[in-house]
This record gives sequence, structure tokens and C-alpha cells, in this order.
Amino acid sequence: MVGENRIKKSFWVLFFILPAFTGLVLFTIIPIISSFVLTLFRWDLISEIQFAGLSNFRKLILDEKFWNALKHTVSFVIGYIPFVMVTGLFVALLMNGKIKGKGAFRTAFFIPVVSSWIAVALLWTWLFNPKFGLINYILALIGIAGPAWLYDPNWAMTAVIMTSVWKDTGFVMMLFLAGLQDIPQSLLEAASIDGATTVKRFFRITIPMLSPTIFFVMIVTMINSFQVFDQVWVMTEGGPAGSTSVLVEQVYKNAFRYYNMGYASTISLVLFLIILLITAVQIQGQKKWVHYA
Amino acid sequence: MKKKLIVLLMMICIIVSVSAKGQQGKEVTSESEKTEITYFTFSAAPDHLDHLDEMIAIFEEKNKDIKILVETAGWDDYFNKLQVNIAGGIAPDVFELNYENFVTYAAKGALYNMDELTAGDSSFSKDVYYPRSYDSFSYKNKQYGLPETFSTVVLYYNKDLFDAAGVAYPQENWTWDDAIEAAKKIRDPENDVWGLHSGIQFWEFYKKIAQNGGAVYDGNGNITIDSKENVEALQTMLDIQNKHGIMPTDAEMGGMSDGDLFVSGKLGMVVSGIWMFGAFGEADFNWDIEVEPGMKTKATHFFANTLAISSSSDKAEAAWKWAKFFTASEESAKMRIRTGWELPTIQDEKAVEAYLTMGNPANRQAVFDSLKYSIVPPVIEQQNELQDGIGMYLDQAKLQSISAEEALNLSRKVLEDLK
Amino acid sequence: MRKKGLLYILLSLAALTMIVPLLWMISTSLKSNQYILKMPPRIIPEEPTLDSYKQLFDLFPMLRMLFNSITVAVVVVGGQIITSLMAAYAFARMRFKGREFLFLIFIATMMVPFQVTITPLFITMRYFGWLNTYLGLIIPTLHTAFGTFQLRQALLTIPKELEESAFMDGANHFLVFSRIIVPLAKPAIATLCVLAFMSSWNSFLWPLIVTRSEEMMTLPVGLSALHGRYETKWNMVMSGSVVSIIPIVIVFIFSQRYFVQGISRSGIKD
Repeated sequence: MVGENRIKKSFWVLFFILPAFTGLVLFTIIPIISSFVLTLFRWDLISEIQFAGLSNFRKLILDEKFWNALKHTVSFVIGYIPFVMVTGLFVALLMNGKIKGKGAFRTAFFIPVVSSWIAVALLWTWLFNPKFGLINYILALIGIAGPAWLYDPNWAMTAVIMTSVWKDTGFVMMLFLAGLQDIPQSLLEAASIDGATTVKRFFRITIPMLSPTIFFVMIVTMINSFQVFDQVWVMTEGGPAGSTSVLVEQVYKNAFRYYNMGYASTISLVLFLIILLITAVQIQGQKKWVHYA
Repeated sequence: MKKKLIVLLMMICIIVSVSAKGQQGKEVTSESEKTEITYFTFSAAPDHLDHLDEMIAIFEEKNKDIKILVETAGWDDYFNKLQVNIAGGIAPDVFELNYENFVTYAAKGALYNMDELTAGDSSFSKDVYYPRSYDSFSYKNKQYGLPETFSTVVLYYNKDLFDAAGVAYPQENWTWDDAIEAAKKIRDPENDVWGLHSGIQFWEFYKKIAQNGGAVYDGNGNITIDSKENVEALQTMLDIQNKHGIMPTDAEMGGMSDGDLFVSGKLGMVVSGIWMFGAFGEADFNWDIEVEPGMKTKATHFFANTLAISSSSDKAEAAWKWAKFFTASEESAKMRIRTGWELPTIQDEKAVEAYLTMGNPANRQAVFDSLKYSIVPPVIEQQNELQDGIGMYLDQAKLQSISAEEALNLSRKVLEDLK
Repeated sequence: MRKKGLLYILLSLAALTMIVPLLWMISTSLKSNQYILKMPPRIIPEEPTLDSYKQLFDLFPMLRMLFNSITVAVVVVGGQIITSLMAAYAFARMRFKGREFLFLIFIATMMVPFQVTITPLFITMRYFGWLNTYLGLIIPTLHTAFGTFQLRQALLTIPKELEESAFMDGANHFLVFSRIIVPLAKPAIATLCVLAFMSSWNSFLWPLIVTRSEEMMTLPVGLSALHGRYETKWNMVMSGSVVSIIPIVIVFIFSQRYFVQGISRSGIKD
């Protein structure tokens, strides 16, 4: 009887997991493992693969460009995540409430998410234009002389962060909206009848019930922001003077410009380990604040 | 509702995979007599695909046993795709390369040694090409590419702005001092008019140092990037932007390219390639070209593209026929001139004549005059790392965070690491 | 009353800034080349023309590329939703040994940039004979760790009481899954639908590498030819972008139907 149940259970588990897992193994995990193995080799994609031992790792430790990219990637992550989560949540809360024209507003916020980075980058390059751009124009009205933004090594990363937050707010909004749908209206109404204020309802009901989504959004934005690439590549190509160089930009350059796939894989392995570590810490921490039904 | 959707999607899946097999089948089964050659190109799409097809039709008429399959990719993605294809064992039989990447691919053994093919081909003579262009594509004394097209970099100038400022037009014998003088007179801050633009980047840099008698490497391969002449030349470049006030900084251009600035009528002179003829044609002012200014001597840039055959191709004979035809035939040369698809590398006087009388700019002779002083960029196997490395320090010098001398000293370290 | 008014104003301003790229894309697509990069930029074109759209359809096999993009996106989205829902159900509602570890593996696959996995994947495709086919475009992306994660979080918020009663009545996992759990996850599924569609539609690097002939190209791959080595035809880039955005926005608007607040809990016996 027990044996039968176990087989039945294994069957069901396999039934549900195998479709996704098969694809994952064949088309994602195997290539990932190949790339990790490649860290011990030199390969330019064109000639023979050569064994290189640990020389890629030795090179990494001494590589100024790597540490520079790591620094900028961390700056991006720290500047971007809190910002985009707060704006995304704020907008989602508004979109979930009693607002007229919700659908239209939501669609509007979604438009930047859908636009390609090429179009967005061009637009923001103009907005950030030191002479004619809207941003410096507005700053001038308040009496501030705006910096050269994308052309100033001290400000370029800030400009990239601002653009990324603007573009991704709609994305985060969507994820939070889905999570907000799962909060029973009845619960909030009952609390309000009992005299709870909006603030109290928000912190005692909404946030805890939203915590699985918050956790999810935090992890996903963290994993994605460490791998930031598209916007940097299109807006500044890592410049000016390497001030927006990030880890995946180094991976890309080494893989495809410098014909050094082994070294590119090495950088990406280190990146992977960093992200894995931070995610593991976050997953451990979830027990303290994430509330599941 | 959901179930129906799922079923529908599964049916689409099945239909698609069945038809996909068919698609694949179509590709693999070729008529058994014909040899299929894949030709990978970056310069054809999107404007010249029809013109390429024209040439292919003519070629296939003359060579009924060969069929050409064209693959294209945009410039930014071309080399990524090429590398992955080579890694995956399906390198295209014939592919286009620019000069800088040619050396890398030749050094890595990706290209077919053409000497074997030329030896067995009595109808082929390398004299049909400009000598310098043919020789550019040999590596370690073996021929690996056939020159396809060339372009030069020249000095464009806005005649209306020159007239308004009362300055004489540039001449072939101009030096940078002459250009700077003229630019100062044209510069009009009130109307946002700039005098001159010559980018502070690798491609301009290697010319300027040659104009001043220096080089990145000397004849024996020693690193000479931080020589006195080079520092002087770089300083001149920096002064044009930072001291004389005649050239806008990147920040001041704010996203506009130098070409855009010129077309908008706000720039007196710009150093750019002849590929801009089409774009500049839309300008609403009079302009012309001249050989770019020099310093102690003249040195101009010669860009060239080549057709190479993959070293792993088992259809080298057929590939060779196509490469020959596309690079050296009269039909090809005429087509290029007619359509403005870069310039053919064959010495065809009639074609050149047609080109010279095509209209704006009037002084097209300058394109060929530039060839007199052309030099090739310093190219090593790790070309991109060289470029990016030096480029990084040029950027910093441009922003005035380091001096010209520091920039070149730091560049020396980059080059030493690459050896 | 005043607070609400201020809120609407702020919201409208924010929404306006979000729409600006679309307006500007449309505006640029209606300009002829010479006006595009005139500084300062004008929102309303001086001489609006549909030329760039005409040129786009002339120069590229737009209908074919649209067909490819749509086919791939529809199948991929369907596949991703199915595989992710099922896996999410297992991770969220079933208990089995190694569950957390397996889930961590799923998440870990999101931590490696695509640039280093593309070459091994390409070689695999060659081995299967799927290069330049719909199979090659679709099959490697039928699964998504992101989607699995997202749906798992959504399914975790469903109270256990709902299934317990069903199991006691003799239902098996599949019935519980399809009749009870899935309907309750509609907002999350709708969200994944939109995001998966967008991701597949805008996907560039993989289709670039796996397609070889013009007839298999998807929209982003085909349009990348507009970025030439020396100059870019911005008005066509923008008209291409406008054409590209329309299907995704349509999918988004339709997905909004599933966002009705609070209905999801109607099954609970209070």
C-alpha cells in the first residue's frame, strides 16, 4: 500500500516537472556546464581548443578591467534595485486602487518595457543632452547647471541607472499587480471596518500577503541587474573612458571581440558565483519575513 | 477555454514541426549536379541585396554547375555570427572580411591558402587589382583574400561657410596648421558653427602619428607608441579640441555624429570616409572634398574589404570562381560604381572615369589622390584588444584626465601585455 | 478631494513620460532622413511622410518576418506557460525529496549570461539538425526558469484547504491542478503570458545565430540590417520599432481582462 503510493507520487512529481526540466537540462544546463568547463581552456572559436589550466583565473585576478567592471556593476545594482522596486510597487498600488482609466494608465506604463533599448537609448541620449536636453533644461529652471551626463565619467552610470529605472518600472509594476490580485478584498474591507487606517492595513495585511511577490521581484531584479548589458551597450558602450563598463560587457567583449571564449566563460563563472551567493543568502533570509499561505 | 487553447497550441506545435522538417529538407537536398556555395556578407544588406542578386544571376549563367546561397548579417553582429558558425563547423564557403579582421582570421588559420588556387588557374592574373590592395591581403607571404572594395578617408569642407568667412578652400598640400587657421576663422560661437572635426580615436590617431613620422610599431615589431613624435601628434589632436576651441567635445555634440553635424551646416570641415557621399548628398549647402591635411608628411587611411575562402571548405574550387568573379569582373566593377556600393579594387580606367564624372562632390579625384599617401593601420592578431586598449587611453586624454604623454605610456603597457 | 486631483495629475504626468518614447518613435518614423537628427528635436515632423514604412516593406520581407515572429512567439508562450505551470505546481503544492535543491537549480540557470552559452547551444542545434528551422527557434526556449519561479510564488499564496477537500473527495493531482489551482492563478498566468510574448518577440541574439536564410528570420533579426557600418537609417529603424510594438501592446491589453481584483478568492468557505 505504501509502496504503491510512493510510486504514484513519483509518477506525479515526474509528470509535472519533466516537461520544464527536460528542456532546462538539454538547452540550458548542458550549455552552462560546457561554458564552465571552458574556463580551463583557451578557445577563440576558430582554431583548436587548447588546455589552459588555471591561467584564465590567474589572469582574472590581475585584470584591472575585470575589477573595474565589477565595481561598476555593483554600483548599478545598488543604485537600481531599491529605486525600481519602490517606484514599481508605488505605481502598482495606485493601479490596483480606485482609479479611473486604470487600463489606460497601466498600458502607458507598460510601453517603455516593450520598447527596444535602441529606441529608448536614442531618446534618452537626447533627454540627457548637456545643451539641448530636457533634463538640463529643467535643472536650469531651478538654477542648477546640469552635468554632461552620458559624456561625463562621473555621471554616466547615474544616467544609465535613471534610464533603466524608468524603463523597468512598468515591468516591476506588472509583477506586483499580479501579486496584489491575490489579496482578498474582503480581508482589507473587514480590517477597515474594524477601524484600521490605510497605513496599518498596508503594513499589516498588504505587505505580508504580498511578501512572496516582493521576494520574487527582489531576486529576479537582483539576478537581472548583475547581468546588466543591453542598455550599457547601446547608450555608452562601456564609456566614457570605461566608466560604465560592467561584467557582462566584459564577457561579451572577451567572447566575441577578443576571441577569448575561455576567459569570457571565466568572468561569467565568477559572476555566477557572486549572484548565487547573494541569492542563497536572500533565500535563507526569506524565512524571517516572507509569509506563505 | 484554457483547455481549448492548450489543444490549439499543441496542434500548432505539431503542424509547425512537421513543416519545419520540410523546410530543412528543402535546404539539404540540392539538385545533385550543382555545387552549393554559401556566401556570407555584411555590406549587402539592406541596400544592395538586389545588386548582389544581379551579379549572382550573371555568375550562375556562366557557371551553370554552381549555386550561390547568400547569408547576411548587419555589421555589428556579423563577426559574432561568423565565429559561432565556424565553431559549430559550418563556416560559410566564402565570406567578406574587412582588413583589420582579416589578419586575425588569417593568423588563426581560418582562411584557405589561395596560392594553391592561383597556381592552378591560368586565367587569373593578380595584376587586374591595384597592387597595394592585392598585397594587403597576404599574410606571411601567402595569399588569403581577394580585394573586394576600398574606401578612403578624406577632408570634407562646407564651401558656403568658407565663402562666408572669406577663407580659401583647402588644397592637397595643406597641413594641419593650415586647417586650424581656417577653422579658427570659420568658428562662430554665436551661431553655433564649429570649424573642424577630426575624431580623437584610434583610426585618426594612427594616421596623425604617421604624418608626424611616428608609428605604433617600428619596422622590426618593436613597440614605439610612446615616441616623441607620437606624443607631439597626439597633442596636436587634443589641442584642436581642447585649446583652439574649433572642435566640439562629445558632450557638446550631445549624441550627434560628426557627419550629422556637417550635414546640418554647422561644421566647416570634417574628416570622414567616402561612404558619406550619399548621406551628405542631402545637405542643403555646397561642399567638396580634398585629400586630408598632413604634418611633416601625408598619410591617409585606406579601408579595404576582402573575400576569403574558409579553410574548412570542401568546395574551394567553386568558391574561388565566385570570389574571382565578384571581385574582379567588369560587370561587378560597373555595378559598384553605378550603385555606389563602395569602390572596386580593379584597375579599370573606364569605370574610374565614370566615377569621376558622377557629380557631387566635384573633386572626386581626391579619392584617388589619397591613395598616393595611403598607409595601413597597425594590425596584429589581437587587433580588437589593441584598438580598445589604446582607445581607452585616447578617451581619457580626450576628457583631459590624463596627458598625451601619460596616455601613450599607458598604451605601451597594453601593447606589452599583448605580446 | 484635492488629494485625489493631485494624484491624478502626478499619475498623468508619469504616464505621459512613459508614452513619450512611443510618440517619439512614431514621430521619427514619419520624418524623412534629413530631419531626423536636427537639433533640437521636434515632436511634430515638419513634413510627415509614410515613406519609411513603404521603404521598410519594400526592402524587407516584412510579412514573412512577421509570420515567423508570430508563429514562434505563440508556440513558445503556449509551451512556456504549460511547462512553467506544471513545474510550479510541483514546487508549490507537492512535497518531495530534493524539492528545494531542484528549485535552486532552476533559479541558478538564470544567473549565467547568454553570451557564453550560445556557442555550446548552437553546436547542440547543429547536432540535432535544427539549424535554420522553426524547431531550432522554438524548442530551446519552451521552458523558462523565470516563469516557473513567478508561477510558483503565485501558487504558494493559494490556501491549502482548497485542495485538501478535493483530495478527500478522491481527486488526483491532475484534476486538482486543472480545476482548482490553475483558475486561481489567472492574473499570474496572464502576466507571464505578456512577459513571455514580449521576451520571445524581441528576442534577438538566439534567432540571429540559429537562422541562416532570409525566410527564417524573425523581425528583430531582419531589421538589424538597418544598422549599417557607417550609417543607420533611423526613420526605418523607428518604423520597424513601431510595427514591432503593436502586437505586444495588443497582447497586453487583452491580458488586462484577467486583472480583476479580489475575485480569485471566491472559492473559500468563509
